Amino acid sequence: MTEKPNNISSREVYHDGVVKRLVQFAILWAVLGMAVGVYIAAELIWPGLDFGQYWLSFGRIRPLHTNGIIFGFGVSALMATAFYSVQRTSNVPLFAPRLAWITCYGWQVVVLFGGLSLLAGWTSTKEYAELEWPFDIAITILWVCFAIVFFGTIANRRIKAIYVSNWFYGGLIIVIAMLHIVNNLALPVSYNKSYSLYAGAQDAIVQWWYGHNAVGFLLTGGFLGMLYYFLPKQANQPIWSYRLSVVSFWAFTYTYIWAGPHHLHYNSIPEWVQSLGMVMSLILLAPSWATMINGIMTVSKAWEKLTVDPAMKFIVLALAFYGLATFEGPMMAIRSVNIVSHFTDWTIGHVHSGALGWNAMITYGTFYFMVPRMMGRPLYSVKLANIHFWLALAGTMLYILAMWGAGVSQGLLWLSIDEIGELNYSFTDIMASMVPYYGLRLVGGLIFLAGTVLMAYNLLRTMYGLHTVTVSPPEVIDEVKGTAYNPNAVMGGPIAGEAGQQAPAAG
Amino acid sequence: MLLAVLHTPGKVFREISAGNSQVIGAVQRLTFLLLLLPPVFIWVGSTLFGWRLGAAEPLYFDNTTRIIVSFLYLDALIFGYVTTVFIARWMAVTYGASSASTESLFAFFTVVCAPLSIATVAHLYPSIFFNVLVLIPSIIWSINLLYRGLPVVMNIPPERGMLMSSSLVGWLLVAFVSLLGLTMGLWANGLGPNLGV
Amino acid sequence: MKYHGVTLHRKLENNIGLLIFGILFVSAIGGLVQVLPSIFQDSLRLATENSHLYTAVELTGRDVYIKEGCHVCHSQQVRPLLAEVERYGPYSRADEFVYDRPFMWGSKRTGPDLHRLGGKYSDDWHRVHLINPRSVVVNSIMPAYPWLAEWEAVDLGDIQAKMRTLRKLGHPYTEEAIEAAPGQLEGMTQLDALVAYLQILGTGLVEESP
Repeated sequence: MTEKPNNISSREVYHDGVVKRLVQFAILWAVLGMAVGVYIAAELIWPGLDFGQYWLSFGRIRPLHTNGIIFGFGVSALMATAFYSVQRTSNVPLFAPRLAWITCYGWQVVVLFGGLSLLAGWTSTKEYAELEWPFDIAITILWVCFAIVFFGTIANRRIKAIYVSNWFYGGLIIVIAMLHIVNNLALPVSYNKSYSLYAGAQDAIVQWWYGHNAVGFLLTGGFLGMLYYFLPKQANQPIWSYRLSVVSFWAFTYTYIWAGPHHLHYNSIPEWVQSLGMVMSLILLAPSWATMINGIMTVSKAWEKLTVDPAMKFIVLALAFYGLATFEGPMMAIRSVNIVSHFTDWTIGHVHSGALGWNAMITYGTFYFMVPRMMGRPLYSVKLANIHFWLALAGTMLYILAMWGAGVSQGLLWLSIDEIGELNYSFTDIMASMVPYYGLRLVGGLIFLAGTVLMAYNLLRTMYGLHTVTVSPPEVIDEVKGTAYNPNAVMGGPIAGEAGQQAPAAG
Repeated sequence: MLLAVLHTPGKVFREISAGNSQVIGAVQRLTFLLLLLPPVFIWVGSTLFGWRLGAAEPLYFDNTTRIIVSFLYLDALIFGYVTTVFIARWMAVTYGASSASTESLFAFFTVVCAPLSIATVAHLYPSIFFNVLVLIPSIIWSINLLYRGLPVVMNIPPERGMLMSSSLVGWLLVAFVSLLGLTMGLWANGLGPNLGV
Repeated sequence: MKYHGVTLHRKLENNIGLLIFGILFVSAIGGLVQVLPSIFQDSLRLATENSHLYTAVELTGRDVYIKEGCHVCHSQQVRPLLAEVERYGPYSRADEFVYDRPFMWGSKRTGPDLHRLGGKYSDDWHRVHLINPRSVVVNSIMPAYPWLAEWEAVDLGDIQAKMRTLRKLGHPYTEEAIEAAPGQLEGMTQLDALVAYLQILGTGLVEESP
């Protein structure tokens, strides 16, 4: 345990209020975003479910689902965990806490009104960059606020070395900023309409440079930051190989950027760009799996925790699905496979093996770990969390299997021609045969949503009525240097031993 | 033996764990049957009813194609079965389970996959929808057996078994998707039956 | 080598400014090599005989297509594969898209590719289909768009401002065309404009497919 020096006049605490609020928003968007997802899955079976209303029409609410999940659920969860972990790995409270609150609420406003704007039909059509230019500017400003708080905290740190989870969050912030600004360059026509600076094939290349790396640095990189902080914390073990994590970070940051053109195989862009994208996508397998192995080896040492801690189960499964998704991706980037998979539901299946299996599950595990600690009381119901685990696994697997079936069917049947070169199947007949798969997918999505709702209930009950526990950064003065340091922050060692952090239940 | 595997798998797991060579031997013999059932069922089904993909009329292929498909199916099953055992052995060290013998691992995975293998009787009517309806519950059953049985057979605490089972699920997904990708890559390059009617 | 690597790592690990710069530098490389050349590549950006400059009505129709999210289910990119050329027509060339802001190649085909749709069906067919797809395609899961027949084309925004903005981006609209634009949209519904757009899709291609 660390002690407080006598010359501290005011009591410093970690700013966890904003973390708690962001967690609540993340849960809200998870439930809403997934509910919209279930609705559009149903619309693909019963198109009449829009009841003749333009604001329920599939084309308008599908981006509502993607944006709600990525920017509502995903980014809120990333901000929450970034703010939580950067304080503790730097041993200082958040830099500019008011700015952190502005980032938190400002972001929610953007997500809400952005979503409404999508219903109104204001869209750039570019995937995950659909929001029109006023929102793009708002996002940029808020992202800069996020960067200031995050990097400012690191700049103020009392531990000399910057822990690797911060590298991944840092990568998230910097690379997304670069991608967002470049891809969204446009000339406005009016407050709700603009025309892209790029056209045609150029626009395609820029868009998928953005689109793939939004997945890479937001949905993968940012969540890897989450993994690298919360997994050792939960397992109470250092990362299995710190060196591997550093090497794979740089390999990952370098390689991911190149993989964009695998979204454009056999499209009208230069072939060298397509081939380069394919090769780099294959190379990307290495740093991705290095991380997975790092994670699994770390967890395997901490197996006893599973008896009391449902959170770890989620992390382990998240790693398994991460392995799947990061294997499937490079495989689908191979031209021969892509011929079959492009434009089909296989792509959707791949997205969701990542989004449900990796992103959602690791966030759930992290929240189940974080929230009881922040509240200073145990999780409301471990039993519910365990049920949630099985629902999440079942939902994800049903979804993936359904989409694999649908995608492979579509892909092969679309390509099917007979000996004299005539098509064997009409497009309509092929799509009509998709109904059973779409039905299965709907069931999978419903099951997954049910699990998420259980979690929302569980975590909100855990949070209900109690104020946040205030935690102080440890402060020990180095006798020689006269500066403060955390005696536990040894290179490669566990970032543990924060004052007051020994939570009762799953310690 | 088959009945015991399906009705009281827990007991079978304990016998395997205890190293009961009679039980293990019986399960091993069962393995051959269980590996052969799915390819045979699909051969029969595709002969009688044709492949029903839902998009058009049922597809009837010539005998050579059907035999090749069944043969490749058997290969894939054997490959999956054997590699999973060896991957499990490789993982065992990490989870403190290196005392389990390869034989008992083979027996274990046979028990886990038994429900799936029996469920492929649905292949007798090769409609995708029907098969999906029957196979999904059996997959769930099999995964259940995996999680329940692994700690028993490997003689490790349930939590470690949980971790190892999840890792194996990860491996199975990767293996399946690579098979999918490989098949698609080859098929798209002409190596596969023509889906013409 | 290893010694240098470790020292560099230490420097980055202890210096946030250096780390930020390092990340930016490393992540920018891919874009510079892969993306930047295409910005300057003439074959991807210069108009040819295959490029069709959208008229005011077609532009409005395209904006209806965008607003309703049609690109979410329909692609506009015929790949150079035998089955695709057989099903849709000549494969898509880069120069056909030079006036597409934004590009709408799509990433999913819940419905068929539309790049060669122009001229395949009559205007009336499109009208009936858009108002209720299931009246012409029984198994269709496409949503119905009855509101498009009620909404006016002029409600989609200032067409002259749009054309002027596009002109700044290099679309060669003449002043006469811009002046005449509002008149052309008068009395049109958004459905009319959309049909006009759909009917020219892919018709700009001059060369025969091989």
